[in-house]
Amino acid sequence: MVGVRAGKAHRDERIALVVLMSCSGIFVVAIALILGFLAFNGTELFWGDRYSLFSFLFSSDWDALNGHFGAAAFIAGSLVATGLAILIGGPLGVAIGVFFSELAPKRVASAFKPAIELLVGIPSVVYGWLGLTLLVPAIATTFHLPDGDSLLAAGIVLSIMILPTVISLSEDALRVVPVSLREGSAALGATRWETITRVLLPSASSGLAVAVILGVARAIGETLAVQLVLGNAAIFPTSLLQPAAALTSEIVMDMGDAPDGSGFKHALFSMALLLLLIAMGLILLIRFALRRRT
Amino acid sequence: MMIESQSVAAPSIADKMKIEDLDIYYGSFRAMKKANLDVPDRHVMALIGPSGCGKSTFLRALNRMHDLTPGARVEGKVTLDGVDIYAPTIDPVTVRHRIGMVFQRPNPFPKSIFENVVYGPKIHGETNGARLQAIAEKSLRAAALWDEVKDRLNRSALDLSGGQQQRLCIARVLAVEPEVILMDEPASALDPIATSKIEDLIGELKKDYTVIIVTHSMQQAARISDFTSFFLLGELIEVGTTSDIFTKPRDKRTEDYITGRYG
Amino acid sequence: MARALAATPAPTVEKLGGSSNARSRRIVDRIATALLWTAASLVVFLLLLFIGFEFVKGASTISWHFLTGSPTAAEAGGGVGPLIFNSFYILILTLIFTVPIAVCSGMYLQEYAAGGRFKDVVQFSAESLATVPSIVMGLFGLLVFVTAFHWHFTALGGALTLTLLNLPAMMRVTQEALAGVPGTYREASMGLGATKWQTVLKVILPSAIGPLTTGVVLVSGRIFGETAALIYTAGASVSYGRGAYDFNPFHTAETLAVGLYQVHREALVPDVDRIANGSALVLLVMVLVFNVVARVVGRQLTVRFTGKA
Repeated sequence: MVGVRAGKAHRDERIALVVLMSCSGIFVVAIALILGFLAFNGTELFWGDRYSLFSFLFSSDWDALNGHFGAAAFIAGSLVATGLAILIGGPLGVAIGVFFSELAPKRVASAFKPAIELLVGIPSVVYGWLGLTLLVPAIATTFHLPDGDSLLAAGIVLSIMILPTVISLSEDALRVVPVSLREGSAALGATRWETITRVLLPSASSGLAVAVILGVARAIGETLAVQLVLGNAAIFPTSLLQPAAALTSEIVMDMGDAPDGSGFKHALFSMALLLLLIAMGLILLIRFALRRRT
Repeated sequence: MMIESQSVAAPSIADKMKIEDLDIYYGSFRAMKKANLDVPDRHVMALIGPSGCGKSTFLRALNRMHDLTPGARVEGKVTLDGVDIYAPTIDPVTVRHRIGMVFQRPNPFPKSIFENVVYGPKIHGETNGARLQAIAEKSLRAAALWDEVKDRLNRSALDLSGGQQQRLCIARVLAVEPEVILMDEPASALDPIATSKIEDLIGELKKDYTVIIVTHSMQQAARISDFTSFFLLGELIEVGTTSDIFTKPRDKRTEDYITGRYG
Repeated sequence: MARALAATPAPTVEKLGGSSNARSRRIVDRIATALLWTAASLVVFLLLLFIGFEFVKGASTISWHFLTGSPTAAEAGGGVGPLIFNSFYILILTLIFTVPIAVCSGMYLQEYAAGGRFKDVVQFSAESLATVPSIVMGLFGLLVFVTAFHWHFTALGGALTLTLLNLPAMMRVTQEALAGVPGTYREASMGLGATKWQTVLKVILPSAIGPLTTGVVLVSGRIFGETAALIYTAGASVSYGRGAYDFNPFHTAETLAVGLYQVHREALVPDVDRIANGSALVLLVMVLVFNVVARVVGRQLTVRFTGKA
């Protein structure tokens, strides 16, 4: 009796293992396929249409219907909006992470944290809509512009969107620093702020760097929120207060209109490939940096 | 001195610190009950007692470390040269400038040896590079570490051995130029050779500083201290010169502990 | 206990209590603390601002007709009923694929894989998959489901794309939930002669059901609001004519989030703002609902299955 039951149990075990491993394998297949498809379609512009990679990356001559695919304006737009987002959201996120890790009493923390989790859950299209109806008019009136669509608006919206990520990662990084370092610093006569800036932040620096890099990765891939407040003017940005365009916003706007097999469509896929490479590159950077530290 | 009868402390010893009716609470738990102690200047006072008797808790009240623990409450008076360090007008930051602390496990910052030592002086406003160098050398010499690290001051403090790290922590405290040094079982995490180096160091330090040291080793207390206080279950039971405590304890509980009836 | 200080306190402590260096450092510390409190309060303030603003603007739109009625092609007064339906439809469809795959993979990585090559590859693949921006995933879905499979825009295509997008998050949720189960349960079960699979299925998974459910509901919230990956896979048009509440996975399915984007972009109807504000409000409320449900259900399940709060 025991033998029969044990036999079935072991057969179940083997079936289960096969199923579980297959499911895990799906991840590997998926990323391989994605890279493959995007690489194929994203390089079609250069292999098939023989468009210059250099022009694509560095020329801002974008006239899709006439065969000009200089994407520098979009690249610059993405970089500037992301840079602004990190400039605002990075220090702010770390500061709030410090708050939760070092200052907040338990009751206050448990009141504030749900707010952060809710911010994470808000869909990007809603952020975009709020930006469009709340922030863009505010910018227009403050700076006396006809229209508030701008890189400034995109930067601000993005900074709010990456805040929860930066906050929770910063907090985690700080909590890892041993209590004994805080005590040692206090025992030498340091104020809490001095302990934070001179001991805790330097000690947690690798974790804080990860927080910031992940914020950048999130910001550069953001589509809807950016598209709604950026204005979509395919010109190289010269001011934070003018409409501009980003890689993500351009793709989502024109992918439906670009004819199949056209250079236009290929150029859009090239932009998508570029986005993928940047995002993956950033995450790989984090992995290697972390591995070297430990 | 708090000693009632028996041997007499030299009349010229002044008290550096006086602790009066000290109560320490963690929430509603009373960790220390009405402790009274006078600490003579420039001598070594050992605090002994079994685990959990409150000696570390007592020690931490002497430099207001309990301020950092939410839920901890200290009542009573702790005076340094006659001034109550718990007075509302006193900034705990300045208290810790005058009363330094060395912890059980070495806790150097993840910085260079040099940066560790000059951390305190930098905070207190010293910016002159030459003076900082001088302070670093003086403190490291006083901690008997200079010869071992003088050629690698810019290397990470975490590369040092446990015993060296602890001496670095002592140097770090000395750089701040305190008057009292509190030590919470400073050698318990170290091997015997490192321990004896620390003990020799304490013998030197007491010439210039008042040292209060918590130790779980009676032998260590007997070796290095001039006075000893015995704690049990949150109460200060007995205080006296070290030789008196170990040869002629007045309280039965002290005697039981000394003779090893409980650990 | 305030006792009277000695009339002339010893110079050492007093002098340092009043020294200029200590005072300015104390001031800096106080200012920094105040600033940090302000920064943290900013987060709460922002959240309240968004919700409040949208409530004010969108509340008037919300009506039974708005929530159940169909959108109009070009007239005012359209509703978002089919869009909400599509959002839930695609959500369920996505979960049907995502949850089993992610839970199985999570179980494998957490309980079985001893740290071999395969585990590293899978972990790396999952992390890489997580970095793919949603618009890029949407393009992948476009290439595969819409173009290569010749499905054109379909709910199924959208759901499969969203599956790929959310698999890493869902797997991480599973891994964390499983990691939270005490090792003693595993030891006890194996010690009684159970196989690993029996242990996982009968002991570990039930113990982890609380955090697992919380995680699944939270990820569902994000799926509900997803836009970029759906525009070019599930499409941006609702079947106006036919029964708009369409259960066919091979038809176009515009969700509420996509609809919010579309109504602004197309600007065909005169009351774009009204509809957009109403949609945004519904989306925000759904986020709140998902968050609350996630916590409540998670806690209840933990109590029921493990007997501890």
